[in-house]
Amino acid sequence: MSAQLRIDWTRCDGHGLCAALLPRTIKQDEWGYPIIDQTRAGIESAAALKRAVGACPALALRFGDH
Amino acid sequence: MIGLSEHPAATRPSTIGSIGRPRLVRGIGAADLTAYAAHLAVHGPLPQPGRAELLAMLDAAALSGRGGAGFPLANKIAALRPGGRPVVVVNGAEGEPASAKDGTLLRCTPHLVLDGAAVAAGAVGARRVLVAVTDPATAAVLRMSLNSRPDRSWFEVREVADTFIVGEARTLIEALNGAAALPPGRRVLPTDRGVGGQPTVLSNAETFAQLGLLARIGAREFSAVGTPTEPGTVLLTVSGAVAKPGVLEINYGTPLGALAAAVDAGPSQAVVVGGYHGTWLPADPAIELSRAGLAPFGATMGAGAVIFVGEHTCGLAELARVTRWLAEQSTRRCGPCAFGLPALAADVEAIAAGRADPAVAERHARLVTGRGACAHPDGAVRFVRSGLAVLADEVGTHRAYGGCRRSDAGHLSSPGGLE
Repeated sequence: MSAQLRIDWTRCDGHGLCAALLPRTIKQDEWGYPIIDQTRAGIESAAALKRAVGACPALALRFGDH
Repeated sequence: MIGLSEHPAATRPSTIGSIGRPRLVRGIGAADLTAYAAHLAVHGPLPQPGRAELLAMLDAAALSGRGGAGFPLANKIAALRPGGRPVVVVNGAEGEPASAKDGTLLRCTPHLVLDGAAVAAGAVGARRVLVAVTDPATAAVLRMSLNSRPDRSWFEVREVADTFIVGEARTLIEALNGAAALPPGRRVLPTDRGVGGQPTVLSNAETFAQLGLLARIGAREFSAVGTPTEPGTVLLTVSGAVAKPGVLEINYGTPLGALAAAVDAGPSQAVVVGGYHGTWLPADPAIELSRAGLAPFGATMGAGAVIFVGEHTCGLAELARVTRWLAEQSTRRCGPCAFGLPALAADVEAIAAGRADPAVAERHARLVTGRGACAHPDGAVRFVRSGLAVLADEVGTHRAYGGCRRSDAGHLSSPGGLE
């Protein structure tokens, strides 16, 4: 399995920074929680992904196999 | 042959019996099986297979976990991390309100369960077995039963909080480790790091009872009943619009019609299989109760709870009530479950009131699915989606007339009552 953007749902509070930084790949549901389009994660640069992962105030966003 | 015996030790359900020859429930009602000597008189002495022998036996009998996920027990034992001090956990935390079979086993034939745990522990070199239950009365029966066992020093009975989610394996490990009974965020396998960080074999109480039986009779006799791919028997908790609710041991592959006859079910508009994380099915007597028989419906046996939804209740009102209850069972740890399930419950209530179409619920169902740390959101969605599909005609009637002139008769029981 290729690397994917993953969310630790026990940590995510729906701050929305990931969606702001990766608007093409991450949308927010009606409560503010991220909806990731994994098919689009591939179009993001490694630097952009790393920035989004680092920006999450809840440390809920990860990029990897698991 | 159908045998149903009244048993005073079980407060719920009222009957314990079998369709076909009793195995796990053998001797219940005829003898006090909490006494070790009486248990041995019924089931015979307990052999202790080595690790390789046990794995071969489990493979040959295809013994799968009976808590819901149906994971092969052999795989759990084979996956145990080498080294460390392995621990065996008997999951008797039956959070599912429609299920009573594990509590029934633990109270009425506790030594069969403890035997299976002892066999697993002996084979993997574990000297610590935790039996997790939620009910103080069950814990008391277990502690008393342990007194008469020569291997009692291995065992420890632990009471954990009675919540729907605590029955989930990884959540139970958290509770046993002294943490809050909440699903962990990262996927940690109990076989790698479980109780006290040690490699842990965790399975449901019935799974260990089946092992207590299998170790005695061997894979060949074990597989004499059931289907080729699912040998043996399985325990069901049957409730709803039936004259004889209770715990029934059936052979895998028994048709739903035979079960309906055994419990004296009235005409039913639907049957829920697998409890409140389970699936609504049409009340088709030809459906075989097995993994293969239920797969075409996207259903599994789950923890074996089967509920007959009779014709004299409003199925949609029952669905709405249980959906609201499921929403309330969210530990609120994960946002999409904490917010999505209440939204989904409101949708189903609106559908039951004739104010909304199922498409509304489907939108929220999609937002919940796969977006949580445990199986709760996906299980709840499976329950709602299948319910709306099986009750499609009812949905149309409610949309057209605002209701169906029937009220919620409480065929699906919930701890919160019917309000």
